[in-house]
Amino acid sequence: MEVGRLPISASQRGKLISAGYTTLSSLSSLSPSDLALDLRISDNEAAEILKVASLGSRLDEPEGGRAIVNGAQTAWDMLHEDEMFPRITTSCLDLDNILGGGINCKEVTEIGGVPGMGKTQLGIQLAVNVQIPVDYGGLGAKAIYIDTEGSFMVERVLQIAEACIEDMTECNGLLRKDFQAGQLKMHPNNILENIFYFRVCSYTEQIALTNYLDKFISEHKDVKVVIVDSVTFHFRQDFDDMALRTRLLSGIALKLMKLAKEHGLAVVLLNQVTTKYIEGSFQLTLALGDSWSHSCTNRVILYWNGNERYAYIDKSPSLRSASAPYSVTSKGIRNSASTCKRIRMM
Amino acid sequence: MTPENLLLRPLITQKCTLGCPDLDRCLGGGIPCNSITELVAESGCGKTQLCLQLALTAQLPIPLGGLSASSIYIHTEFPFPSRRLHQLSLAFHSSHPPIFGGDPCDYIFVQGVHSADQMLGIMTKMEQFVENSRTQLPVRLIVIDSIAALFRSEFDNTPVELKRRSSLFFKISGKLKSLAKRFGLAVVVTNQVVDLVGSEGINGLRIGNLASLCSSGRRVCPALGLAWANCVNSRLFLARHEEVDKEENELGDVNLQSTRSRRRLHVVFAPHLPESCCEFVITRKGIFGVEREQNAAKRNEA
Repeated sequence: MEVGRLPISASQRGKLISAGYTTLSSLSSLSPSDLALDLRISDNEAAEILKVASLGSRLDEPEGGRAIVNGAQTAWDMLHEDEMFPRITTSCLDLDNILGGGINCKEVTEIGGVPGMGKTQLGIQLAVNVQIPVDYGGLGAKAIYIDTEGSFMVERVLQIAEACIEDMTECNGLLRKDFQAGQLKMHPNNILENIFYFRVCSYTEQIALTNYLDKFISEHKDVKVVIVDSVTFHFRQDFDDMALRTRLLSGIALKLMKLAKEHGLAVVLLNQVTTKYIEGSFQLTLALGDSWSHSCTNRVILYWNGNERYAYIDKSPSLRSASAPYSVTSKGIRNSASTCKRIRMM
Repeated sequence: MTPENLLLRPLITQKCTLGCPDLDRCLGGGIPCNSITELVAESGCGKTQLCLQLALTAQLPIPLGGLSASSIYIHTEFPFPSRRLHQLSLAFHSSHPPIFGGDPCDYIFVQGVHSADQMLGIMTKMEQFVENSRTQLPVRLIVIDSIAALFRSEFDNTPVELKRRSSLFFKISGKLKSLAKRFGLAVVVTNQVVDLVGSEGINGLRIGNLASLCSSGRRVCPALGLAWANCVNSRLFLARHEEVDKEENELGDVNLQSTRSRRRLHVVFAPHLPESCCEFVITRKGIFGVEREQNAAKRNEA
């Protein structure tokens, strides 16, 4: 319902519209004093207008399905928005398939596995892949890489970036053979430049950086993925007070979730694996305990199956549990060699 | 807080040569700076030899693959092999033209450590030492030989003790990593192995590229468990296999029987390296890689 249809005086209506309040929803979260200040009217008058407006919006409800709180969305709108958001490919087709196309923006995804499983490799791959231009089905965005462990090697990033560009050029050649205009203008150095790299040496620094990220991302709106490699390392060092650790960690998790939601970016947290004593035997589980496992929307576990690396979706609100093989090659994360063979045989 | 521009960093992480081109090739140039590299092997495989050699090659100027630096050598197994170091340094001195005056041993600072807590205490001293070193060469290499000896005796096998132990792992490794980052150090720690019983790994756990580590015909796995494995950036494995050479003489006797050790260096995991391996020998002059025909053929295929 428009402000114009409210049963108020013409001068009030004029003041409202000239101040930019054209719809009822724009008035829904205002306090009378704010409105009074904006329109330069008395508080009583403002309160009167808001009362009429809220009455009006209540009348509106049956037909329109108004939001209760300003900024809330309907599930229908959210579904559409979800479909609009591109996903970040992992460069491994099988893995993308079980992830529903790749790592989801607006969500926090946790990836865990034993040392040497390829967590860091996957992290670097995502930091490179988020930069694939929109023409090539990517996001054409930038990445933030938060390194707590020191495993980030520039030479490896360069290698993966070169392979990524090579693949894109190949794809370019296949799709538009005669087009010169579609020539790829990307250099591995550009890819390196578009990864914002933070090396974090203690948990206090990690918390401070998490708090600072919001400001940083507001200034760099084209960041579409935040990778934390690993979220765990500093939180396994110095904590005698486990309750404090849990509080700090859930604080970080909340901030990252808010970040993901507000800026529409993907947050990828890499986690270590630990053993847990369950019913008389030691079992492998992701580190940081049970309360942490609630903090991530999606959880992917990487594991060995014989001689092959597999990824398993352990938790996700929208994806079904599934596992897929992948391999770590000189070019980065790719389809597992054995599935390639199978495809070739068919 | 500002992000680092990756283009301003050297595009290839600085490495410290092992003093042998074959071994360096296997490791992509040597032991990387800014991170922790772990050497895992059973006793007598050459861990200490490699560490001593590194302490010498680190002194080489940067164009020759060294770090142009002195090193801190922390030993937890006694006594310190000073005689062997002296032998190696003589060979090193003769094979490399004297770059600076004095004995190479002058640029290796040795410290013995007896317990994990003492180790933690020494970390802060080390930081001051590295920061204010007045030596001709700055410290760029820290060797801890071995980390396992500190932890294998002191702790009981109870949940509380194990928890205290892994907390210490993370503390030590956290300190080492921040030192490595701050001063661009290469950090090398050695680790022992434990025998592997049963068909699967411990709890069916497999870490790294190799399905199982084999040395001296036994299946082994690195000591200190999963928690410690999370604390290192790269893990290298040194394996030894005894081979019996039978040389029959004209009479058909096998009296010329001799056993020969074949040693291999494997990359178990590393952020910048693929799975690879390289054979090496230990001579009086140090550790050297052996370029085998088989390996060469493989490389040509690739």
